[in-house]
Amino acid sequence: MLGTINSIGVLALAVGALAGLAMLAAAGTALWKARSLLHKEFFSYFLSPIAYAVLVVFLGVQGWLVAGTLDLLIASGPRGVEWPLQHWLSSPVFWLVFLAACPLLTMRTFAEEKASGTLEMLMTSPLSDWQVVLAKYAGCLLFYMVLWLPTVVYLPILAGVSFGWTGLSSTADLAPVFTTYLGLFLAGAMFLAMGVCVSSMVRDQLVAAQASLALGVVFLAGSFAANAMDGGTGYQLAYYLSVPLHFDRAFTRGVVDLRPVTLYATVGLFSLFLTVRSLESRRYA
Amino acid sequence: MIDVANLTKYYGDFAAVRDVTFSVGKGEVVGFLGPNGAGKSTTMRMLTGYLVPSGGRAVVAGCDVLEEPLRARSLIGYMPENCPLYPDMRVEEYLAFRAGIKGVHGARSRARVAECMEKCWLTGVRRQLVGTLSKGYRQRVGLADALVGDPPVLILDEPTSGLDPTQIIETRRLIAELGREHTVLVSTHILSEVEKTCTRAVIIARGKVLAQGTLGELCPPGQSLEKMFLDLVEEREAVGA
Repeated sequence: MLGTINSIGVLALAVGALAGLAMLAAAGTALWKARSLLHKEFFSYFLSPIAYAVLVVFLGVQGWLVAGTLDLLIASGPRGVEWPLQHWLSSPVFWLVFLAACPLLTMRTFAEEKASGTLEMLMTSPLSDWQVVLAKYAGCLLFYMVLWLPTVVYLPILAGVSFGWTGLSSTADLAPVFTTYLGLFLAGAMFLAMGVCVSSMVRDQLVAAQASLALGVVFLAGSFAANAMDGGTGYQLAYYLSVPLHFDRAFTRGVVDLRPVTLYATVGLFSLFLTVRSLESRRYA
Repeated sequence: MIDVANLTKYYGDFAAVRDVTFSVGKGEVVGFLGPNGAGKSTTMRMLTGYLVPSGGRAVVAGCDVLEEPLRARSLIGYMPENCPLYPDMRVEEYLAFRAGIKGVHGARSRARVAECMEKCWLTGVRRQLVGTLSKGYRQRVGLADALVGDPPVLILDEPTSGLDPTQIIETRRLIAELGREHTVLVSTHILSEVEKTCTRAVIIARGKVLAQGTLGELCPPGQSLEKMFLDLVEEREAVGA
């Protein structure tokens, strides 16, 4: 009995993996065709002051949190911390900054184009709606990765990571590092997709930012109330939806929990789908 | 090259374009003439794929605009009204970006961009930010953008609006020159422009085509285009939408 369920599960995973690969291949072709738009989107972030403001505040907060974690790590007495990354990423300050950063990065993706009229130029170009949306989204995602790149500097300090003759080695456990960055990439991908979707539905950038923020709160709110709950169904629901808990319980401990990954993938893909449909519906206005 | 049959567009209950039928042959420069709000921009947006028609058919360079939209769009160079551009990009950068979007990359893109900049007298401002350009230059960038993919069909929505007299003359000369290699559909409400650049004209008012044909056919010698146009439009208004 268990054997059949196992094999069905494996089959489902295989089908899912194949579907995922097919989607990645399709996205890759779309991005290759729209590489000019992707190039422009990514580099235009470096021309906007908002991106630099986000970069400075984000990295400033990161630095402060890492310094705090380091203090705990080197403190004498019973003040140590078992999972440094967990301490770093479970801080509410970090999550508030994260919540605010994603809408600021995505607010201008479509709202600005609509306001200035350049959306007409994009929609009358030989690029399909999916290609346009994926190119803009990928530009956002790439900048989001640039946002996180400087934090790699903390790894030798926090986890004793070093790159020597024998390859990557560390004094602390390396697995949490990889799973945390994976989790951050996927969670960011979800928030950015939601932001792009909201941006495609409103004309004003600030309204897009605020609406994305409000939507993002839905995915953060549970974590603040979770401490007061016991492990019943309320907590389970809060766990499924609140992103900080995913990092607290799973990603920073070296575990890739597929439940949050499914949430990020489905919400992200659904948001991108809605964005494409929103663009398409403009043609029928 | 452009065949439009019974094209209709409703915005809710309001018919912006109703049963518009006309065609543009290869190598022609056709003027799309009409008062403001006649439906010129709406028709052009339907041809370029920005809007989906409520009824009718449009075929551009052999591709049905609804059945093969991407291919049809790749064969059209479109310059919308008010020429929207990205103010933070340089002229060269912007044209290279648009060339890339139209599938022209690498060395061919650099060659095409240089060619289009020269044709539209933009070489002097190639490194200038688009946001700092004057209206005349911006229109030229829009025109260069329409040309950069080397499309067989050009659809230009009021290309001389807001320009000063010298710029208007230059742009008209450019359009007439482009007419030798491309098929051009120009929309305007300036009658003298039609007289100077176009071989044929389609007159549209309140969403319906009132008359079409060569300038000789439309107004007999002795009568000015202006009088003919005003008569037609007034008659239309008297009869009612």
